Amino acid sequence: MAVLTGIPLGVLAALRPGSGLDLSVMVLALLGVSMPVFWFGLLAILIFSVGLGWFPVAGKGTLAHLILPAITLGINATALLARMTRGTLLEVLSQDYIRTARAKGLAERVVIFKHALRNALIPVVTVVGLEFGTLLSGAVITETIFAWPGLGQLLVGSILARDYPVVQGAVLLVAITFVLINLLVDLLYATIDPRVRYD
Amino acid sequence: MTRPWRRLIRHRLAQAGFLLLFLYLLGALFAPFLAPYSPYSQDLRSTYIPPLAGLSLRGPGGEWGLWVSPAFRHPLEGVQVRWEEKYPVRFLVRGEAWSWLGVRGELHLFGVEGPARLYLLGTDEQGRDLFSRILYGIPISLSIGLVAVGIGLLLGTPLGALPAYLGGRWDLLAQRLVDILLAFPGILLAIVLVAILGPGLLNGMIAVGIAAVPIYARLVRGVVLSLKSLDYVEAARALGASHARILLRHILPNALTPLLIQTSLQMAIAILFAAGLGFLGLGARPPEPEWGLMLARGREYLAVAPHVATFPGLAIVGLVLAFNLLGDALRDALDPRSR
Repeated sequence: MAVLTGIPLGVLAALRPGSGLDLSVMVLALLGVSMPVFWFGLLAILIFSVGLGWFPVAGKGTLAHLILPAITLGINATALLARMTRGTLLEVLSQDYIRTARAKGLAERVVIFKHALRNALIPVVTVVGLEFGTLLSGAVITETIFAWPGLGQLLVGSILARDYPVVQGAVLLVAITFVLINLLVDLLYATIDPRVRYD
Repeated sequence: MTRPWRRLIRHRLAQAGFLLLFLYLLGALFAPFLAPYSPYSQDLRSTYIPPLAGLSLRGPGGEWGLWVSPAFRHPLEGVQVRWEEKYPVRFLVRGEAWSWLGVRGELHLFGVEGPARLYLLGTDEQGRDLFSRILYGIPISLSIGLVAVGIGLLLGTPLGALPAYLGGRWDLLAQRLVDILLAFPGILLAIVLVAILGPGLLNGMIAVGIAAVPIYARLVRGVVLSLKSLDYVEAARALGASHARILLRHILPNALTPLLIQTSLQMAIAILFAAGLGFLGLGARPPEPEWGLMLARGREYLAVAPHVATFPGLAIVGLVLAFNLLGDALRDALDPRSR
């Protein structure tokens, strides 16, 4: 979700720097990175579950149980990706090769998506990888809010109960997953950027 | 004043950030004066009173002004207000005695004359005034941020600078250490450290601080590596400068700008992390007016008293936003690459 909304928002903002759209996306993104996940989660429960009754308040079960926790978990990453994409895309758009691409009469769509975005995405991919880790650890808090019986709740519960073997196991699992994801990100570089080679 | 600093002061984001931070600092400094009540004084007859309950603009004789009627919670019928009693709101009143930073007093910015209480932001599960608790929470969150960032700076800078400067085996060793710390993403490192140290406010600060160490170490390492083989460093060495002098006087000053930017952003992260720990019950302990902890208590009665969770969260957002704004503005103003 973060990738699907964050990157397009960043692209939109970068295409019209200084416009109202750019400003509102950036203000929202700044708020998004400044918000504690647990507070946003509680507000989401208050508005969508208690107030409007669209989603269940907490617990595990249907797909509907998954929506609010997923949005809550993704909100910080979305905001961060929007900021990041805008920043790198703006930088790339001022490069000489973008002017060249425009000069040879390519459609703006092709310039943006094939020439600019591909180059701008390299640092963004790094952040996506790192954000995966933040999501893994953010799940600890999100699961507590929504009473989702997952690894995060197990971790907090076992810390409070001083059940150290379980703490070690849970932490190790998260750390290994995170390291593996970062390895994947490193491998992904080579696909996006042909200059990167692992011999 | 140099150009970057002037640019910073004119920066609109920076102005917003400075203003927010200034308001929070004022709040922290004058907390007991601005807060009408003690953050610990409870009243079990008035739990979960909504914000501004019992406030009216007309007095008993119909005269205009701010008047408060006693609000309390009936065990069956919920919040009740005794509208027939009205007491005036007064400014600069004598109320509960306080002692703050070595100063004693009993003067408060505002208060109610009579047996009613004015709850600007309502009360929590023990009938404590939420507004007072949020004010007293500012110094807690600020000091968590400062201590945590201080630990990160003091441990992270040498961990990044020395091995990078010495190179070889030391560099390898330090890098692996940083790698290990970085394998625990985000708040998880802080959670793990709390699991080792045990829950509590001080341990929470230490944990959040250590979680910042690898970030500083990596930042400083990058700067040192990029500079240590430059000609001017070589020249200093040829002139007979000691290693300590080269590192401290010639290399590290170049890291000040990125460190300053990082520190502002890191304050924001530290405050968020500490609130997260408090929320999970791993940070500050009750009855401490720590925002994350207050939010966690508000979660239990979200439907009945949404204000208990909403306002501490807003307080966190504001403070974190201030540091994020400052960090962004610092980067815009001081980083030569982002022009």
